[in-house]
Amino acid sequence: MSQKYWEDVNIDDALDAVEKMPTTDLAIDFFGRDNPTNPAFSDIEAGKRLGVGGALVPGMLKIAWMTQYVNDWAGPASHLASIRVAYRRPDVADRALTLSGRVVDKRSEGDKKIVELEVVTIAEGQPSVRGNVAVELPSRP
Amino acid sequence: MEDEQSLITDAHRALIGVKSAPVTVTVKEEDARRMCEVLGDSDPRWAAGTGMAPPYVIAAFGGRPSRNMPFILPNGLLTQQEWKVSRPFRIGESLQAVSYVFDIRERLGGRYGHSILLTTSTDYLDAEGHLVGSALTTLTQFDPKRATGGKDE
Repeated sequence: MSQKYWEDVNIDDALDAVEKMPTTDLAIDFFGRDNPTNPAFSDIEAGKRLGVGGALVPGMLKIAWMTQYVNDWAGPASHLASIRVAYRRPDVADRALTLSGRVVDKRSEGDKKIVELEVVTIAEGQPSVRGNVAVELPSRP
Repeated sequence: MEDEQSLITDAHRALIGVKSAPVTVTVKEEDARRMCEVLGDSDPRWAAGTGMAPPYVIAAFGGRPSRNMPFILPNGLLTQQEWKVSRPFRIGESLQAVSYVFDIRERLGGRYGHSILLTTSTDYLDAEGHLVGSALTTLTQFDPKRATGGKDE
């Protein structure tokens, strides 16, 4: 895990894409097996009743993955200040998701150095979640 | 075109901005460890012994308040979400969660037919009353009998 410095980041920089496989087990384990969750996260028929083609991938799992994705890129001296996502299409369990992102803005707010990124999950060639993330980066020493 | 009447009443609108009584949530080490393990997150900031939890531990707090939250239509899907984090969550700290309805809108047409877009917000405050984080969640409520199944865009 390397550190990004504000001075070294440019608008339109792309993040390396990462693939994730959202299984039903992963969805249940994320929330904890003893904690109640939406039955559609593990039950294909419950997902279909919601109009999804199978078990539903929890939105919280996807936003957590996006958070981790940006933190991995930004490095341990960064601070993720906000993430805002729109779940455009439901994702179905056991279908791979690809995370990709790019820098869309960099700015100073007082003594804070902020980089804004667009992050998207792609499922079967279509974006399913679109997000904007603001992360504070350190200046190069 | 079918004559659609608003499903949002004055009673629903009156809920906007009304804050709940605070509920105590605790940043549990078991939640942080489990979530890191499930995601394969090896970020040294959240490693055992650092006393820090990853920002997504907010998902373990119960992101959508059940109280003060009107269920106008029978089914719901999470359609928008925002997390803001002022400082890292600390393992073992207790936070006061205060929730309120941020907005209620409705939409005609689209994938879910006549749907309700309910946005709720929860602020998490530390023992000194400082805002540590917040979660804004939009739940699209719909009746599956009226959903078209078409594309949303």
